[in-house]
Amino acid sequence: MKPLDLAKKLRRDAAFEPAALDRGKETLMQAIRQEVEPRRRLTIVPQIPYEDIRAALSFLERAFGFREIRSSRMEGADGVIHHANVEFGGSVIGIGTQGAHGAVSPKSAGIASQYVSVYVDDIDAHYERALAAGAQIPRGPRDHAREYRAYEALDLESHRWRFVQWMQAVPPSEQR
Amino acid sequence: MSSPSDADVIRCSLGEPEAFGLIYDRHAATLLRFLGRRAGAKVAEGLVGELFRIAFERRKTFDGSRASALPWLYGIGANLLLKHRRAEARWLRASARMAPGRDAADGRVSAAALDARLLFPRVADAIEALPDDERQALLLFAWEELSYQSVAEALELPIGTVRSRLNRARARLRELLEPKGKDRVRLR
Repeated sequence: MKPLDLAKKLRRDAAFEPAALDRGKETLMQAIRQEVEPRRRLTIVPQIPYEDIRAALSFLERAFGFREIRSSRMEGADGVIHHANVEFGGSVIGIGTQGAHGAVSPKSAGIASQYVSVYVDDIDAHYERALAAGAQIPRGPRDHAREYRAYEALDLESHRWRFVQWMQAVPPSEQR
Repeated sequence: MSSPSDADVIRCSLGEPEAFGLIYDRHAATLLRFLGRRAGAKVAEGLVGELFRIAFERRKTFDGSRASALPWLYGIGANLLLKHRRAEARWLRASARMAPGRDAADGRVSAAALDARLLFPRVADAIEALPDDERQALLLFAWEELSYQSVAEALELPIGTVRSRLNRARARLRELLEPKGKDRVRLR
């Protein structure tokens, strides 16, 4: 046997937990955010109230692809989450406890007083994902004057989200 | 449409840091397996994110003339492992104990397997005893199957130096196979 073949015999693969890669990515994404955030201070952050923040976070990730910024989660000793931030494509939304700051979830109010527009790259794939995760769809995807394509979804607590994809390279609002 | 090379992605990430996530998606599984082979699952799982965090912070120093970032990432990983020498030694010794068993598929213990049982712990000790630079070169070449060129890129060495380190490592292992005097272990 050659010396190298001997060394090769000692090669042994380890067995990993399935979530190992996700955890590693979160470490990287935190470093990326730390670099990005001081440069770009957010000036407007909508705060969306929920009865059950933990369920909301899970749904928003699963259905819409939002990602929680774990370093900013506010959690009580009892494990109850009081506030969290989620990001999507460089924008951030706060997820707060209903009742705080006078904000109420549509689930208990029975009525929504606002909706949020979110701009995505592939609206049909996004729609399929939301549908599969159990989002209610009051308006399915459709084109608007060949400028953009949009659909609307309701989350677990009936907040309305409008997802939009521009169909032109430069949106009209930015054309001069 | 062909996808952008690692070098393109890293260049893009200088202005758009989020783009670096794609480097993770492309290579993290490979690097996790590499770290696991060297130091076991627990250490590897703790290091893989750290490896990419360091790569992200050093991305300005990536040589953009290289299309693939993989050798560069291996190099960062190899460096990280230096802080985990004890875990690495433990994993290697355990692997040495398990290695011969894999040959005895027919259930019988052959003479060769018996010899190997004696030999593998000594091979592990010999690998363990190699100077860091020789061990790194040897294991990148033998376990990860990197080319000389890729090993050279990973360890940031001239290719001639890699060649001589590998030759030295080989020679040290060969001494195990052809020891002088009564210490001899039979191999077939």
